[in-house]
Amino acid sequence: MTTRLDLARTRAAAGDRSQLARLVLVLLALVLALAALFGLAWGASDASMWNLVHDWTVRGESALSARDRIIIYEIRLPRVVLGMLVGAALAVSGAVMQGLFRNPLADPGIVGVSAGAGLGAISVIVLGGTALAPVIALFGIYALPMAAFLGGLASTLILYRVATRAGRTSVATMLLAGIALGAMAGAFSGLMVYVADDRQLRDLTFWGLGSLAGATWTKVLSAGPIIALALLAAPFIARGLNALALGEASAGHLGVPVQRLKSIAIVAVAAATGAAVAVSGGIGFVGIVVPHLLRLLIGPDHRYLLPASALLGAALLVMADSVSRTIVAPAELPIGIVTAAVGAPFFLWILLRRRGILDL
Amino acid sequence: MITASNVDVFIGRKQILHGIDFEAAPREFTAIVGPNGSGKSTFLKALAGEIVHHGEIFLNGQPLHSLKPWQAASRRAVMAQQTTLSFPFTVREIVRLGLTGGFSGARPGEIEQLPERALEAVDLKGFAGRYYQELSGGEQQRVQLARVLCQVWAPVMDGVPRFLFLDEPVSSLDIKHQIAIMQVSRDYARRGGGVIAVLHDLNLMAMFADKVAVFHKGRIVAAGAPRDVLNDQLVERVFDCRLRVGAVPAPGTPFVLPQSAL
Repeated sequence: MTTRLDLARTRAAAGDRSQLARLVLVLLALVLALAALFGLAWGASDASMWNLVHDWTVRGESALSARDRIIIYEIRLPRVVLGMLVGAALAVSGAVMQGLFRNPLADPGIVGVSAGAGLGAISVIVLGGTALAPVIALFGIYALPMAAFLGGLASTLILYRVATRAGRTSVATMLLAGIALGAMAGAFSGLMVYVADDRQLRDLTFWGLGSLAGATWTKVLSAGPIIALALLAAPFIARGLNALALGEASAGHLGVPVQRLKSIAIVAVAAATGAAVAVSGGIGFVGIVVPHLLRLLIGPDHRYLLPASALLGAALLVMADSVSRTIVAPAELPIGIVTAAVGAPFFLWILLRRRGILDL
Repeated sequence: MITASNVDVFIGRKQILHGIDFEAAPREFTAIVGPNGSGKSTFLKALAGEIVHHGEIFLNGQPLHSLKPWQAASRRAVMAQQTTLSFPFTVREIVRLGLTGGFSGARPGEIEQLPERALEAVDLKGFAGRYYQELSGGEQQRVQLARVLCQVWAPVMDGVPRFLFLDEPVSSLDIKHQIAIMQVSRDYARRGGGVIAVLHDLNLMAMFADKVAVFHKGRIVAAGAPRDVLNDQLVERVFDCRLRVGAVPAPGTPFVLPQSAL
């Protein structure tokens, strides 16, 4: 391991960070496995990690009680899986969007894509029994993530049209357009809240704070396939996103089919963000913090940045969720509060460090 | 062979190029000169397939519009006038982007070494580990050239000559590197490829170009070998500046020409 690390270091010093990135990927996979195990074993109830590992490894009599089994396999496991899916979706969406807009500040949460997805989701929650009942009948458990996907797609397309001229994205325009889009989606969401009944209001409030509470296998099944598809698209656009760092024209000259690349990227971001928002509400800042940290560590090569973002995003969200559901046990804190409390100062720190960024 | 016939380009309502007929052969360095705003860069962008144009452009006999991006990328590499970067890539990572499409034409065993060799060719040996954004303007320009060289490393692939499209490749360089980069480009042509370069320095053009096309107000007003094209009347008409070609300054006045390089 040490010699490998040394080799990776020497290569990185010569400008080739691919070895280093591969090592980091392996490490992140381990971290994710640990975080998941931890998330399964830790909680308000005392089904402990050793009993769990014991139950897996030793045949015969189980150390777990029937109650512990239900807690672990029906409550904690879907929650951990959902946390991994959502964390990976948010982090990869952020990284892809930053590559697409050629800007480290582009994040679905900041530029209004999550708000658009949220509007789609809220519409289904509030109007699901009335105006949108046929849609629910048709799509079943997928209605909510589909609606969020469409909302996110609409916002991303509008944002791209407004902020990008002749292959160049203006950062200031992008951020301002994001504010306008967020406000617009917020206004319509407000309207929905206005017509919602008491039970829907309660649902909406908790959903809006951002939480993995109430994770069920049904939720995992409704969002999982969409997020998995979006994540599977990532490796196919990684090289293209690297070339895009030189600008759209130069990427085209390198042989990248730029229009197709942009379409795939936009749909993938909208799908992943939409599905994540649909099942977990507004969990902010994962999409900006995770890719930024990883760029510092392994550089901006999307072939490694995208999978690394997925792993770290998943691990961080599972860990944050473990904290949020135990820190005030037996009650729990919405995870959105935890990520925002850590992420917002981090975002300010990036702004401080890169002051000239709006002139880019 | 690159040929353009009767190419018009409009940007908005304004017509930038008027009926351009142009040819660039392999084994030749073809320069494009002309005053600011005469349409040189626009024409290069049209050749690169970057902007909409009327008329016909052929890359080795195939119409440009029928080529997919990756097909065009295997036949020519393009160096833009300016490239801004959005993320902290190292120099090696940037140069490696030239290998994106896999058209370098180098042997499989050589490909990993190409970035280093390309950097050496542009006199940036040892810069691979630096961050692109920390380099000077002239160094960045040479990194981009190294990237472009990587893309079409072999001047001829499968018997087909390949081209370098360079938009002001030496504009930010000191005189040593101007000469070095011009030599690298001319060498590419000598080895069977073709080079089309927009240049501002008439002396460098005269020294390195086999052919030159002179742009003026969106038209080509003269084309041919530099010694046939460059004369007092043309320079005065095109550049709106009374200059004499080949005149030596008064004795005692210092002047340095690239032609004097030993």
